[in-house]
Amino acid sequence: MELRRPPDAQHAVAALGNGSLALAGGTDLVPLLRDGIVRADTLVHLADAVPRGIDGTRIGAGTTLAELEVDPQVPAALREACAQAASPQLRSMGTIGGNLRQATRCWYWRLRFPCWLHGGEVCHAKAGQHREHAIFGNERCASAHPSDPAAALLALGARVRTDRRELSVAELYRLPTDESRDVVVLAPDELVLELDVPLPDASVYLKAMDRKKWAFPLVGVAAARFGDRVAFGLAGVAPIPWAVDSADDLDRATPLPGTAYKVQIARALIARAFSAL
Amino acid sequence: MTVPAEKLRLGRVGESARRTDAVPKVTGEFAYSSDAYAAGMLWGRTVRSPHAHARIRSIDVSEALAMPGVHAVLTHEDVPGEKRYGLEFRDQPVLAFDRVRYFGEPVVVVAAEHPEQARRAADRVRIEYEPLEPIVDPERATEQEPLHPDRPTMGHGYRDDPRPNVVRSLVIRRGDPDARGDVSVSGVYELGIQDQAFLGPESGLAVPDGEGGVDVYVATQWLHVDRDQVAPCLGLRPEQVRIHLAGVGGAFGGREDLSMQIHGALLALHTNRPVKIVYDRQESFVGHIHRHPAKIWAEHRATRDGKLVCIRVRILLDGGAYASSSTAVTSNAASFACGPYAVENALVESTCVYTNNPPCGAMRGFGAVQSCFAHEAQMDKLAAALRIDPIELRLRNALAPGDSLPTGQRITGTLPVADVIRRCAELPVPEAEELPRDPIRLPGGAGNTTRGEGVRRGVGFAVGFKNIGYSEGFDDYCTARVRLLADGSAEVHCAAAEVGQGVANVILQTARTELDTDDLVLAPATTSSVGSAGSASASRMTWMAAGAVREACRAALAERERTGGEVDVERVYRHPRTTPFDPETGQVTGERAHVAYACAAMRVVAEVDVELGLTRVVWIGTAQDVGRAVNPQAVEGQIEGGTAQGLGLALMEEVQTRGGLITNASFTDYLVPTTLDMPPVESVLVEDPEPDAPYGVKGVGEPPTVVSTAAILSALRDATGRELTRVPVSFDEVVGLD
Ligand SMILES: Cc1cc2nc3c(=O)[nH]c(=O)nc-3n(C[C@H](O)[C@H](O)[C@H](O)COP(=O)(O)OP(=O)(O)OC[C@H]3O[C@@H](n4cnc5c(N)ncnc54)[C@H](O)[C@@H]3O)c2cc1C
Ligand code: SF4
Repeated sequence: MELRRPPDAQHAVAALGNGSLALAGGTDLVPLLRDGIVRADTLVHLADAVPRGIDGTRIGAGTTLAELEVDPQVPAALREACAQAASPQLRSMGTIGGNLRQATRCWYWRLRFPCWLHGGEVCHAKAGQHREHAIFGNERCASAHPSDPAAALLALGARVRTDRRELSVAELYRLPTDESRDVVVLAPDELVLELDVPLPDASVYLKAMDRKKWAFPLVGVAAARFGDRVAFGLAGVAPIPWAVDSADDLDRATPLPGTAYKVQIARALIARAFSAL
Repeated sequence: MTVPAEKLRLGRVGESARRTDAVPKVTGEFAYSSDAYAAGMLWGRTVRSPHAHARIRSIDVSEALAMPGVHAVLTHEDVPGEKRYGLEFRDQPVLAFDRVRYFGEPVVVVAAEHPEQARRAADRVRIEYEPLEPIVDPERATEQEPLHPDRPTMGHGYRDDPRPNVVRSLVIRRGDPDARGDVSVSGVYELGIQDQAFLGPESGLAVPDGEGGVDVYVATQWLHVDRDQVAPCLGLRPEQVRIHLAGVGGAFGGREDLSMQIHGALLALHTNRPVKIVYDRQESFVGHIHRHPAKIWAEHRATRDGKLVCIRVRILLDGGAYASSSTAVTSNAASFACGPYAVENALVESTCVYTNNPPCGAMRGFGAVQSCFAHEAQMDKLAAALRIDPIELRLRNALAPGDSLPTGQRITGTLPVADVIRRCAELPVPEAEELPRDPIRLPGGAGNTTRGEGVRRGVGFAVGFKNIGYSEGFDDYCTARVRLLADGSAEVHCAAAEVGQGVANVILQTARTELDTDDLVLAPATTSSVGSAGSASASRMTWMAAGAVREACRAALAERERTGGEVDVERVYRHPRTTPFDPETGQVTGERAHVAYACAAMRVVAEVDVELGLTRVVWIGTAQDVGRAVNPQAVEGQIEGGTAQGLGLALMEEVQTRGGLITNASFTDYLVPTTLDMPPVESVLVEDPEPDAPYGVKGVGEPPTVVSTAAILSALRDATGRELTRVPVSFDEVVGLD
C-alpha cells in the first residue's frame, strides 16, 4: 500500500478514486483497513490538502474535534457534540471532515456479514440483534448514524463546501438506495474542504449513551434556536443524521422491536433540549 | 558527606504495605507478558474457526508456507503428543481436527519473522469447512445431537445424567422439598455472558532450550497446571517444560485455561527459535472462556413472620463448547443458590450444558454471582410480599456458625452473616444531592441528558456468600521454599501467580513476619525452582500462600537452629480436606465439601432517569467478612475492583452472540465501566478470624463481585418499581415509566 501526501486539494482530488482513499486522522479508516472491510492501494493523506482551523463561522474540514470542542467561536451544540464524541485521544486525531464520513458501527457490517449495505440482499440486524439500530429510514438498512457532530451541524443548518460545489449538511446525506449504497451524495474523489456554521441564538446537544462517557450515541439530540424557529438534528436514529421539527415527528417513526425504546428517549430528549434553549 | 537514607520497616501481616508492583504499573515500567522479547524471536499467529460449528473437510497450508518470512505452519498433525488438553477434562483439541465447536477455535498456527507476515500467512491457510447447525439455545441442548459423544465429564463421581450435552447436573435435596409456607414468591432470572475484560491480552514467549525442552513465559493463574497440560501434548516429560510467570495484566479466571502456551511451545520446538504470541483484542474475546450465562427459576416459601420454609431453585448454565471448569461452576451455583440463609427444606437443580456458544469457565464469583442475583431478587420480593423490611428479613434468616447448609455441611468456621448485614446497614446513606448539579453527577453523565427531570432515587441491599478454596475432594495444596543464606538474608520461592491481586505482598509480608527481617526477596514464580502453588483463583491464594510460606519459614528457622548453617527447605501446605457430594442427594459425604465461606453485604444508592432509562450508581457501602486482613489497603482495593466488575454486569457488560458468533468483540462495542460509572465505595472490613486458616485469613477477591450485581439491581428496582429480572439491565425494562 502506498501513502501519498499531495500539496493541495487539487492534487489530492486528482490522486483519489481508482482504489485510493482519503486519509485524515485515520481513526475510522485505519481500523476498517486493518479488518479488511475497506481496501485501498493508495492512501491520500489530507494534511496539506484540506484546511484546518476555525475562522468565525468557517471551519476547515481538517480541524480536529478536540480543537472544535474548546473554541468559543463554535456554537454550543457543535462544541458539546464534539466534546461528547469518542475519547480524548480519538478527538485529538479525528477531524470533523472524517467524522462526517465515518462508516456505520453496525456490527454485522463491521463483521463483514454479507448484508444489504455491503451489497447483499438482507439486513441481518433487522432479523437479529438491533438494539443500537434505527427508528427512521430503516426500510432497507437499519443502521444508526453514529456521528454526534453531524446531528449538531444538521440542527445548525450548516453548509458544506467541497472541491466542486456547496451544499447543506441536510443535502450531503441521503438514505442509501439499491443503486448506491452510500449515505452521502459525494463523488468517490470529492473532498470536503470547509464548513460554514451559522451562529444560532442558542443551541444544545444532549446524548443518551450506554455509559457515562466514551460511547456512541444511542440517541443524540441537537437543538438550535434562530429567532423563534427551533431545529433539531438527531444522531443514532436513522442510517443518516435525521432532522425533525418537533417531537410530533416521532409519531412517524418505524422502530424495530428492539429499538422502540429509542422513540421514547428521543421524545424525552427533544422536550428537554427545547426547554434548555 | 552523605546521609544514609532512613530505612523504612517494610510491612508485616496486618499492615497496609505498599505493593511492589504499584509504582511500575502506574509509570508504565512494569513488564507485561506482551513485552517479552528474545533475540531472534518469531511471531506466532493462530488461524481460528469462522464457524460456531462445522466439519473440517481439508486443510491446505502450502500457500501459507510459501509466504515471505514464514517458518512454520502447523496443524493437528504436527502435535507430537496428546492431541487434546483441558483444565479438568482433556476434551479440547490443541488444534482442531474433524470438527470445530465454537467460533474462534484454533485450527492452525503460523510462525513468521514479523507479526504482519504471520498475519498474512494466516490469511492464506485454506481450510474447507462444512458448516453444521450450531446448538445455540441451552434450553434445547439436551434434545440435540451430542457435541461430545464420548462424554468426557461423566464417570468422575458426578450424578449420571444420560441426556445429551450435559456437562454436569447436580441435585441438592434437603428436608421436604414440598414443604409449604404461608407465602410463596417466584421468579425467573437471566444473566448474559460477561467477559473478564482484562486489559493485558493473552500473550507469552516460548523459548526452546536446545535440548528438546522449552521455557514458556506467560501470563497465567497456575503455572504447574499449565505445565501439566503442555508437556503431554508436546510429548515431553513435565520437567522439560518450564513455565515462568510473565507480567499479568489482569486475569479474573480468564487465564485459568490455556491460551497460547501449547501453540507457542509447538512453534518454538518446531522452528528452534523463540516464538512470541500476542492476541489482539478481538482475538482475546475468543481466546479465553467467559462467565456462564444463566437462567434461574426460583421459588421461596416462608412463614408469615418471614422465616424461610423451603427454597426451590432450578439453574441452567450455558457452558459453551468445552468443559473447562464448568463442572465446578455447576456445583458452586447450586451450593450457593439459597443464599447465606438458614432453610430446612430445599431442592436445587443445577445443570450445565454444552452448546456451540463461546466456551465458559472461571470468572470471579464462579457460579455464586449468578445465584446471588436470583436469591437476592427473591428475598426482596419476599420482603415486599410480607411487608417486612428487607434488611430485617435477611437478618431473621441469616446463616450462622453451627447451622447447616442445604448440602448438609455444618458451618464449623466463621461466617458472620448477621454481623456484615448490621455493619453494612449502619453505614449512613448519603442524602440526595441538591440540584442543579454537574451532569456528571446525574444519570446520563457527560451526555448532559437531564438537569433533574425524570430522576428517581432508590436504595438497595444484598447479601451474598461464597466458598474459599477448591472443593469436593480436590487435593488442594500450596508449596513454598525458603532459603536462609549465610549473610542473614532470605530468599522465598512460591509459584503463586501475582495477577494484580497482591499475592506477592502477602508472601513478602508473611515471610517478613515469620523471619522477622526485611532482608528478603521473593524469587520469580516458576515451575523450575519450587512445587505447585495451586491456582490464583477461588479466593484461595492468600490463605494458601500465607499457609505455605509460614510453614516453610518456621521450618527453615528450626532447621537453622539445628544445623547452624545455610538452609533450604520446601514445605507443602494443605487446607482442611474436603469430600465430594453424594451424586444422588447432593449431600456432603464427609464433614465438608467446601473448605470455608466468606460473606459480604452491600447497600447501594442509585438514581434512574426513568424517562430515558439511564442510571447512576451514586454510592456503595459494604461490609465484608475478611477473616483477617493481611494488607487492609489491598483488601479495600479488591473490594472496589470486585464491585466494579459486578457493576459492569449489572449495567452494561454482555458478550453478544448470534448463531454462536461473538458480535461485539472490541472495547468499542463491549463496554466496561469507566471511573465515572463507578461510585465511591465505603468498605467496612469485618475481621472474624477463620480458625483453620493461617493468621485467620479468608479470601477477599470474590465476595464483592458476588454481591454487587444483586445489590445494584435491588436499588434500581427500588427506584423504578420494575422487576428487572435480567442483567445487564436493558432500556426496554426501564424506559418511559411515566
Ligand atoms: C472507539 C471509537 C469511538 C468513537 N466514538 C464516537 C462518538 O461517540 N461519536 C462520534 O461522533 N464519533 C465517534 N467516533 C468516530 C470518530 O469521531 C471518527 O472516527 C473521527 O472523527 C474520524 O475522523 P478522522 O479524521 O480520523 O477520519 P479518517 O478515519 O481519516 O477518515 C474517515 C473517512 O472519512 C473520509 N474523509 C476524511 N476526511 C475527508 C474529507 N475532508 N473529505 C472527504 N472524505 C474525507 C475518509 O476517506 C474515510 O472514509 C468514534 C471512533 C472510535 C474509533
Ligand atoms: S443495518 Fe445496514 S449495515 Fe447493518 S446489517 Fe442491516 S443493512 Fe447491514
